[in-house]
Amino acid sequence: MSAVEPTGTPGGGGSVVEVRTSATAALIPTIRAVASDLAARADFDLDAISDLRMAVDEACATLVDVASPGSALQCSFTVHGNVIEVEARVDTAGPESTVSTDTFGWRVLQTLADEVELRTDGGRSVGILLNKRADPTPR
Amino acid sequence: MSAADSEYGHLTPLLSEYSGIAAEDPRRERLRDQLVTGFLPIAQHIARRFAHRGEPLDDLVQVATVGLINAVDRFSPDKGSDFFSFAVPTISGEVRRHFRDQGWSMRVPRRLKDMHVSINSAVSELSQQLGRAPKPTEIAERLDVPVADVLEGLEASEAYRSSSLDEMLSSEQGSATVGELVGEADAELDRVDYRQALRPVLAELAERERTIVMLRFFGNMTQTQIAEQVGISQMHVSRLLTQTLGRLRSRLDPDTRTG
Repeated sequence: MSAVEPTGTPGGGGSVVEVRTSATAALIPTIRAVASDLAARADFDLDAISDLRMAVDEACATLVDVASPGSALQCSFTVHGNVIEVEARVDTAGPESTVSTDTFGWRVLQTLADEVELRTDGGRSVGILLNKRADPTPR
Repeated sequence: MSAADSEYGHLTPLLSEYSGIAAEDPRRERLRDQLVTGFLPIAQHIARRFAHRGEPLDDLVQVATVGLINAVDRFSPDKGSDFFSFAVPTISGEVRRHFRDQGWSMRVPRRLKDMHVSINSAVSELSQQLGRAPKPTEIAERLDVPVADVLEGLEASEAYRSSSLDEMLSSEQGSATVGELVGEADAELDRVDYRQALRPVLAELAERERTIVMLRFFGNMTQTQIAEQVGISQMHVSRLLTQTLGRLRSRLDPDTRTG
């Protein structure tokens, strides 16, 4: 895992934490620990902290499965007041490596996050973007 | 103490006798048995106060009984205090030590473990009052400690050993209601057309893990609501969901995820 490096956001506003690891399942606990720590420090309620933690877990596990061998998993967290936005991304070997959205895993992401979106990049990479609000939003 | 005194009054002379008895006296064992059996309700009562914190009640009763035996052995009536004010902290101390020593899968400083226990009870009180999960600042305010301590304590609670669902839910409370709710969730599951055979994989789960997954992902319930329904803590629901999702992931994986 590389250093956690805060950078400025292009869109302005919010503080950013980026974590880059090898795309391996063994490092996902480290990433989800960052997620729950950020949410706790942003004073999310315990349900929201736990939901974000599990959503990041699920998103990263999904991506690691389709990552090209030896590639990296890049996660960036942006805290905008009471919303945390997460983008997780891996490089893929080609257009056939993609994430399908009619799976139970995707349902899990949709339930845990307030918004979730799949972002593909012409077979070069796949990303999952998710938003979680601090306030309880039972769905 | 007066009510307790009358309930246990007949044991007081035995306590004096026991404390004065020689170690090799043949009556010693029998007296000790009598005292421990007589005071056992106190140990059971204390053990119950620590129930629903992730350790099975049977274990807690056993640990509390060890504490009681220590109290009986160490008590000396001539020091002036009565047995209860000596025994209660001795027994509670034994149970607390059990939580500190047994419940943690990873070494966590004692201060944080104590904080974890306080946080847990603050969380359940606040959840009831607020009708939702509390925030770290709300927990800090309730416990009158800095938010930083709560954040540390929450982090430490991730290291708490997740005990099996079966031992936690052995009481089966409210299972009828849970059944009804899962019925609704089941209908929701039917409406979702998945390429993967989710139902048989869910069926492989222990009934209560399945219930929790169904309520969360198909029944529109929050963790706090599920915790209340099922009778365990929100933190425990969180741990169980994380574990169960991991298990489901490995069962559902290869052909459905990529593709």
